[in-house]
Order: sequence, then structure tokens, then C-alpha cells
Amino acid sequence: MKKSVKKTVIAVMLIVAGVGFLIYKGISETGVYYLTVNEVIAADPESFNDRGIRVSGKVVEGSTNYNQRDLLLTFTVRDLDDETKTMKVTYTGVVPDAFKPDVEVILEGSYDRESNTFSATTLLAKCPSKYKTEETGEKE
Amino acid sequence: MVNFGNLSQVFAFIFSLASMAFLLTGLMKNDMRFIESGRRSLYGLALFTTLASIALGYLFITDSFQVEYVASYSDRALPMFYKVTAFWAGQKGSLLFWAWVLTVFTAIVVRNTRTDLKSRNTPYIYLVLATTASFFLLLLTSLSNPFALLGFIPKDGQGLNPMLQNPGMIFHPPTLFLGYIGFTIPFAYAVSAMVIGKLDETWLRKTRRWNVLSWVFLTIGIILGGQWAYVELGWGGYWAWDPVENASFIPWLIATAFIHSAIIQERRNIMKVWNMVLIVLTFVSCLFGTYLVRSGVLQSVHDFGATGLGGYFLVFMIVILLGGIYLIAESYNDLRTKHSLESYLSRESTFLFNNVLFLAIAFSTLFGTIFPLISEAVTGNKLTVSQPFFNQVNTPLFLILLLLTGICPLIGWRKASADNLRKNFLVPALAAVIGAIALFIAGIREFYPLTAFSLSIFVIVTIFNEFRGGTMARRKLTGEPVFTAFPRLLYKMRRRYGGYIVHLGVVIIVIGITGSSAYKLETQGTLYKGESIKIGDYELRYDDLRGYRDRNRDIYAATLKVFKNGKPAGTISPERRYYINAEKPTTEVSLRTGLIEDLYVTMPGIGENEEITLKVTVNPLLIWIWIGGFLMVAGGIIAILPNRKKKGDYNEID
Repeated sequence: MKKSVKKTVIAVMLIVAGVGFLIYKGISETGVYYLTVNEVIAADPESFNDRGIRVSGKVVEGSTNYNQRDLLLTFTVRDLDDETKTMKVTYTGVVPDAFKPDVEVILEGSYDRESNTFSATTLLAKCPSKYKTEETGEKE
Repeated sequence: MVNFGNLSQVFAFIFSLASMAFLLTGLMKNDMRFIESGRRSLYGLALFTTLASIALGYLFITDSFQVEYVASYSDRALPMFYKVTAFWAGQKGSLLFWAWVLTVFTAIVVRNTRTDLKSRNTPYIYLVLATTASFFLLLLTSLSNPFALLGFIPKDGQGLNPMLQNPGMIFHPPTLFLGYIGFTIPFAYAVSAMVIGKLDETWLRKTRRWNVLSWVFLTIGIILGGQWAYVELGWGGYWAWDPVENASFIPWLIATAFIHSAIIQERRNIMKVWNMVLIVLTFVSCLFGTYLVRSGVLQSVHDFGATGLGGYFLVFMIVILLGGIYLIAESYNDLRTKHSLESYLSRESTFLFNNVLFLAIAFSTLFGTIFPLISEAVTGNKLTVSQPFFNQVNTPLFLILLLLTGICPLIGWRKASADNLRKNFLVPALAAVIGAIALFIAGIREFYPLTAFSLSIFVIVTIFNEFRGGTMARRKLTGEPVFTAFPRLLYKMRRRYGGYIVHLGVVIIVIGITGSSAYKLETQGTLYKGESIKIGDYELRYDDLRGYRDRNRDIYAATLKVFKNGKPAGTISPERRYYINAEKPTTEVSLRTGLIEDLYVTMPGIGENEEITLKVTVNPLLIWIWIGGFLMVAGGIIAILPNRKKKGDYNEID
């Protein structure tokens, strides 16, 4: 192989190694656990606290309380499959348009075991999918 | 009309299968008559997909809610414009749109190659196109039929998702699709080149316009998507590294790498294997994009719901990928070139590094997108990544790419001399350093923004130098004044200068992204009438709230008086809309855009006592993203402008 080609190959390999390192570093620094409510309240929170937790669950009916003046929202979220597994959620900020009782939400933040409370920094509400509304439409 | 649409689809499917059968028979028997029949069938195919598309459009216009697809995406109150464009609002219509555009493109290829029928690769090109069309028509006539009936006639349709009732959203999906579909054609040419073993750069020359045009459409689609997200979704940003956004970005990255490396093969006759790999990857990633959008495999803001389509797409993609690998492996020895890179200090090596970086970004984006799936399967740990991951990994890579954009025109082909480098680098490098110092003094001291801005200066100066040098040379040669010499130069050497205009657009986008991400201000709060909210130099006073009925929605609009540095600066009026057919209200962004910064206001909540919750964002330099995007598209179009008279110069590829 010619010298110039060799140098180029080495440079390309360095780039590839650099990218591999960036990806590795990116995941270890920004990765978060994606869990269900059941997994959050069952697990040892110590193991999650070094990273953030993202959790999906359903908003329990009648549990929401929103102080619009201070943008302070509290509600109870339950496991998607197991209705008995619940935890409290506190969130400060704007409530998404799609947020309402019985809707699926995705939260990001940290969990405090003693008060069974999840402090959410982000709150996403999933739109009810098109197909579900179709089903209810047909029953009418 | 329903029957007519159904029949048209079935006929289209039959024509695509017939075309495949004729072409295969013709190739096996070496009989031109069969190939001619296969060719003509492709016209029939395009005709019937067109008829099916007209039928679907007609059903939307006439509120034919007995059709499930129409009932799901339209209603009586929907304005006519949106009724027509609801065509591609959902999966089934999108697939029909795919099939329709693909077969029309195919018809154009068939027409352009009518004199090449004797050349051995043409039937294979037809065959690849007919096979792809068959795949989509198979889905349309079985699993995903847009003409499927509900079995009863509802009084009204479900209506179009209010978020899709926006002009930007109307053109975002079809332009992306045009890009995706367009790459089928270079792919077909590449496959046929490998099958018959004619592996020179002919296929690249013949498909250059398709490549660049498809790339232009992808670019428009991505930018429109960002713009739509910005003005419609109301979270104050334009790009969130959402799986579906990534699905459109990954093909764009690979296609961009391909367009660059194709230039090297044309110029220096190297990187043949590489180009084959890239076009196969581009096409597969375009299918992957469609698959990701339509399969429901990943959670996304584009919530389409899962259907049984995923498996079919996966199989088709695997077939294409394995077939591509097989063909490249088979022709590997013929594809290898005797020439090689002469120096790592050469223009072609900057292209090579550019390719590596584009693929690296594509890979890290893909990796981050599917990481939740990998992580759970491999480690059992449900680790996931989002925006911060993509920003952290890709920002340094993009900055190196930006640097290369500046370096590339400064370095000669083959081997650059140290002298030549010193001379060319001096001015741009000096400008960048002075610019960096000035920015540092002005208070821009974080590493990434400072680097991004000074690299941008570097690249802009090199591009400006290229334009100036070319114009001066032409002026000397022809004696034309500058204002005549410049546009003539642009047209005469449009491939090259079109490319530079694209680069200029990229730099301007970098400036916009850097400004709006590093210096964004954000605040939120709830106000009673008469109260104010402050952000940066702005103060917004809540004066009034009024509600009214407008067509298919109830609108509540707040009026806020804007003060900048204490002086009145007009009013701004965010809205909250309650669409009759929607389950939830939507927020309508009120946006004041300017060359320096955007003031961006949404109203996510209205209380019982007319207190309103506001979210206010100041996005510096954001408008430059759209200006840069416009330049990229313009540059791309300039690069493929047809020739007026002379044939055979370097610009003329066909």
C-alpha cells in the first residue's frame, strides 16, 4: 500500500474510533432508564438515581390537581397493566394539551421512595390513537 | 368511484406483475418483443395508479364517508384544500401516493430510455422499478387498501388532525416522499450496471439529475417538517431528534455522502465499490424511513398506530440489502480500481473524510434511534437516549464537516503543494481568527458557539473567494461587467457554483441553529388581565381575551401588548383552538419573526377567571435556518439546470 493511502486509512480509522468513543460516552452520560410504574416502585431506587428515569403510566381519574397560577400539577399515575401499582407525581410547568384523566403519560425525572413521589421534569401526554377513536365511532 | 379506485389498483398491480413477467421472459429468451411488452406495461401501470389516485381524491372531495380512510381523515367542515391533501394524511393514502409517484417517475424513465432499449442494462432498470412498484401495490390491494369500506355510512367523518391543518404540513410529507421515491431510480440503474457488469461511471452520469433532485426534495421535506414543528407544535423548537425526524434525516445524510463521492468517481474514476454501497444504503434507508413511520415500532410524536405492515417492509428491506450485498460482492473484482488516492492532502481526500463523517452521523443517529430496542434485547436493561445524546454525539462531527466544507475548495485535486495551501488558507483563516476574537470580546465565550461561528466565517470567506475569483477571471476574459459576469459564471459552471450555494446555505443554517439553541430564552407563567411577563428585553402585558366561532373550530385569542426595552412594540395574539372533531384543544403559536430574533408565544391554558398561562420563547437568529434552507434548495436546483444549447460540455451528463 502506498504511504499516502496508508495515512488516509489511519486517519479514517481514527475517525471511526472517535465516533465509537463519542457514542459510548453519549450513552453513558445521557442514557436514562425507561421503566413502567411497577418497575419504578418495586426496584431499589439507588440503582437508578445516578441516571434519570423515564416512566410511562396512566393518569388515575380524579387524582389531578392543578394550580394554574403557580403551574404546579400533582396527580397519581398507575401502571399500564397493573391498576394497583401507583405513585404520586409532582410537576411544575405547562400542562400538555393532551393531558387528562386516563390518558397515557411519559414522565422524566427522579423517584423518592419514602414519599412514593416521582418529581417529573418533563411530562408528555400521548394522543389517543386514531384507531381507538375509530372503534368507539363504530359502536355508535 | 370506490369500485373504480379498487379496480384501478388491481389493474395497476396486474400491470406491474405483467411487466415483471414480460421483462424476465424477454431477458431469458433474449427476445426483444417481450421486453417491448414489459416496457409498455409500465405505461399502463402509471396510468392505473393515476386513475386510482384520482378516485381517492374524488372520494375525499365528495365526502364519501362510507370509505374508511376518507371517514378517518376528513369531515364535512374541512376546507376543500385540506380535503384534497388529506389524501396523504394517513398510512394507506401515503402508500398509494408512493406507488403513484414511483410509477410516474418510472414512466418518465421509460420515456427517456426509449432509444436505449437495445442496450443491455435497460430491461434490468425496468425490472427493478416494476418490482418495487409491485411491492407497494401488493400492500395496497391487500393489507392497506385506501378504498376499504366501513360497512355503514357515518353522518360525518372523524376530521383531519388539527395539527395537520397547516400549509407547511401539506407539503412536508409529499416532498419527503418524492425524495424517498426518487432514489429508487439511481438504485435501479446501479443494480442494472452491476448485473450486466458495465461498471464505469455511466450509471452515475445518467442518474445525476435524479440524485440531486431527490436530494433537493428530501431537503425541502426536512426543512418544511422543521418549520411545521416550529409554527404548529408550539414547544418553541424545530427539531427534537424524534424517531420519525431521524428516519428522514438518515437517508438525507447517506444521500449527501453519495452525491459527494459520485463526484469523485466522475472526476477521478475511484471509489466505485463505495458508490455502489452508498446507493444501496440510500435506497434501503429510504425504505427504512417509510417503514419507521408506518410500522409503529418506536414511540414518536407521529403517532400512527401499529398495523401489520412492518413485517412486509422489513422483508422487502432485507431482500434489497442482501441482494445489494450479493451484487456488490459478485462484481467486487471488476469494481476495484487501479487508481488510488495520491495524497491525503488532496481534494479527493477531503471528500473521503466528508463521506466518513456523514456516514458516522447517520450511524450514530440510527444507533440512538433504535438503541431502546437493542438495549432491551441485548442487556435486558431498558436504557434509552433522547435529544441530549444526539446533540452531544453529532455536534462535534457536524463541526468537523463544516471545517471540511471550508477546506475542500482550497485544496487542489490529486496532490496539494504546501505553497498552494499557505496562499489559499491565509485570508480565510485570518478572517476566522479575527472573527473569533471579536465574538469573544462581544461575550460569546462557550466553546461550541464560538467554534461554530468562527468556522462559519472561515467557510463563508472561502466561498466568497471562489465567487470573486471566478467572476474576476471571467471579467478579464470577456470584459463583461461584474453584474453580468457573475450570473453567467453561475450558469456556465452551475454544477460547481450550485454546490457552493448549497454550502453557503448550510453555513447559514449552522449560524441559525447555533444562535437559536445556545442563546434561547424561555419563560412561562400565568397572568390575570393587566399583568405582565418579562423575558430578555421584552415585556408582554395581557390586555384582552375574546372567543369566537370560526368554521370548524372555537377560537380563544388573547391580546398582549409587547414592550421592548420599555418601548411599545406592537401586539401579539396567541390562540387556543377547540376543533369540533378533536378530543383536545390546540395552541396556536403567535410568532414575531425578525432577522435578529424571534419572539414566540403560546397559550397552553385558560382558567375560569380568564387567567391565561403563557409560554414565551426568544429564539435568536432562528430565521436564518429557513433562509439557509432556501439557499440549499436553490443551489441544488441551479446545479441541475438543463443546458440551453451546446451539448457535450461537462455540465451535460445525459
